[in-house]
Amino acid sequence: MLVRLFVTLFTGFATAQGQSPDDKIQQLEQKIGDLDQRLKIAERRQEIKAEEEAGRAKSAASVTANGGPFTIRSGDGDFVLRIGADFQIDNRTFPGLSLLPLTDQSLVRRARPTISGTVYKYVDFYVRPDFGQGQVVLYESYAQLNYFSRFNLRAGKFKPPVGLERLQSDDDTSFVERGLPTLLVPSRDIGYQLSGDIVKKRVSYAVGVFNGVPDNSLSDASVSDHRDYAARMFLTPFRPAAKNPLSGLGVGIAATSGNVDGLTLPAYKTFGQNTFFTFAPGVTSTGHRTRLAPQAYYYVGPFGLLTEYTLSEEGFQKGTVRRDIALRSWQVQASYLLTGEKKVFDTLIPKKAFNPHHHGWGAFEIAVRAGDFSVEPGMFNYGFASATTSPWRAREWVGGVNWYLNRMLRISADYANTNFAGGATVANGGNRPTERVFINRFQVNF
Amino acid sequence: MKLKAFAISALAVSVLFAARPVKLLNVSYDPTRELYQEINIAFAKQWKVKTGVDVQISQSHGGSGKQARSVIDGLQADVVTLALAYDIDVLSEKANLVPKNWQSRLPDNSTPYTSTIVFLVRKGNPKHIKDWEDLIQPGTSVITPNPKTSGGARWSYLAAWGYALKKNHGDEKQAQEFVRRLYKNVPVLDSGARGSTTTFVQRGIGDVLLSWENEAYLALNQLGKDKFEIVTPSISILAEPPVSIVDKVTAKHGTTEVAKAYLQFLYSEEGQEIGAKNYYRPHSPQALAKYASQFPKVTLFTIDEVFGGWQKTQKKYFDDGGVFDKIYTPGI
Repeated sequence: MLVRLFVTLFTGFATAQGQSPDDKIQQLEQKIGDLDQRLKIAERRQEIKAEEEAGRAKSAASVTANGGPFTIRSGDGDFVLRIGADFQIDNRTFPGLSLLPLTDQSLVRRARPTISGTVYKYVDFYVRPDFGQGQVVLYESYAQLNYFSRFNLRAGKFKPPVGLERLQSDDDTSFVERGLPTLLVPSRDIGYQLSGDIVKKRVSYAVGVFNGVPDNSLSDASVSDHRDYAARMFLTPFRPAAKNPLSGLGVGIAATSGNVDGLTLPAYKTFGQNTFFTFAPGVTSTGHRTRLAPQAYYYVGPFGLLTEYTLSEEGFQKGTVRRDIALRSWQVQASYLLTGEKKVFDTLIPKKAFNPHHHGWGAFEIAVRAGDFSVEPGMFNYGFASATTSPWRAREWVGGVNWYLNRMLRISADYANTNFAGGATVANGGNRPTERVFINRFQVNF
Repeated sequence: MKLKAFAISALAVSVLFAARPVKLLNVSYDPTRELYQEINIAFAKQWKVKTGVDVQISQSHGGSGKQARSVIDGLQADVVTLALAYDIDVLSEKANLVPKNWQSRLPDNSTPYTSTIVFLVRKGNPKHIKDWEDLIQPGTSVITPNPKTSGGARWSYLAAWGYALKKNHGDEKQAQEFVRRLYKNVPVLDSGARGSTTTFVQRGIGDVLLSWENEAYLALNQLGKDKFEIVTPSISILAEPPVSIVDKVTAKHGTTEVAKAYLQFLYSEEGQEIGAKNYYRPHSPQALAKYASQFPKVTLFTIDEVFGGWQKTQKKYFDDGGVFDKIYTPGI
């Protein structure tokens, strides 16, 4: 068509120039052919450039900053570096008069930068120090081999697989401080752990061997040749069935066993982080310690329920007297998301992040908790603790409100009431005074 | 007791994995897709009969140099079947993935089949291209990939250089000028041979495609003899695409035995015939005789004869700052 048009237009002109129409047609066809080639070449060059850029983008490292940790990832995803942090600023107020000198205060509860990632696709690493409360403590430092999804091997300093709420991230608990059963389980310990998810991820298991640390403590050194063995199995039998109302049900049990010779004795603290139970002078940990920790949670829609019980039977000695004494604790906590988000064990993501300009108000949660901690009478009968300074029972109830402004920012306000049986002289009423504390927290984590 | 439990667990894991089909990754150069699709099916059948084990072979294709770099960068190739020996040499030199003597482990310098470079032109050969000389004429548009990334392009480059040397009685300067003029006629440099075929065949760019012989016949058979013709030049190069297992990867994957068998299969009568059927020149006299009609007689020179081997050639012509970098300026 195009050629004919050119021919029609130029035939007269060509004749006038002394060229035959056929020559002219041939010339024009040649020119059009050349132009067509040039156009195709330009297009192909663009195409190749785009392919090369796409190839480079595919293999190029990427940097992301979108609400989680800042992440650098290699093109193939085999190498990942994440930089995160966890800051918690608390304000504690102890209302009313009390016989105990409880000090209102503001403090940096946690200041934990986190460096984690993956090398060579299958090897994860995690390092997390804490600069909170004026101290520098290495909380976690471990490497984990993930070559087989059902058998992950972890080595280093981390949370042993025992307490349910202890295993929940500091940023994800419904209250600013964990419940009383956490007092009886290890915080972090150094050792090795084999873990994995099996049976279509309905069964999660972990077994490990650790140095052994006092209750709710962490340590960088072992005090004896003995080891602490820990195992946990947690079942989520209805997990894959999203529409099943029981899909959020999880039930498990954990246990530890080990020798405690030479371990430092712990001190147990209230919700307000005041020590309420100490051992008598001259008492040592001696012999065996066994812990048993049944645990469960249930999440359905915005509602969450978490409960656990911990029994710890441990050998104590004072002079020539040595006895095994049981310490027990339980808690039940429930929470409800008023803004309709789905409550989960892990990080909660608000439906709408806080942004008043776009009618986003974040997520609001209310939560209540009841808990109990008790020791056997033998603790006092054999002189391992003084009944006038350490109570044999502590009971707490806690109410709280959480405002999740977005995935990274949360403001919490909790009120806790802890009453005691024992722990004071008869002249002072026989019972340690009830602790009432109001704690609010400003938390940033990513 | 704990040790015993661990040993039992380890055994259970081994049994679990032993029951799975064996997986191999063959990292190859651009135009071998069709060849290895056929080879893989035939080998898997033979391996199943021989061992009772299923083998799944995945393929990865691209410019040969680019593929070698990917393997160095971590692409888990159990075997490499690349366009030229230098690209396997670098796996040994830069990443120690194969031993230095890799080429002596299989017959014929680990080259189960050979090929050469021919010209694919448009039907009727409108530019009357008959030999290398015609490619440097002004107005002739030549399509060939980038020799820095494509093995086939390096063979083409050397074929042209060898022709010019012979024509000019070994005068290097004349040969360089000849090749410079040829690349001046190259308007688009793809990274691999398959890309260049796309440029020439599907995008309709250029008058002649410098092509692996097998790639040219594939284009002819798939896209129609009414559209293209093959021109065999008076002289060309004997292209020897080699193969090797990637020892470090197969040791890690536990696939050494099957990878070796896979490459040996290429030398079997069945493997040679599949190669010949796909227009690769076989070593087997039987396969060659059976498919003789599809391999025109052409004078072939080797890289060792004219250029002194791949190491020297790569350094002189294709490394950064080499002769190709100096002579190439995009044409048209």
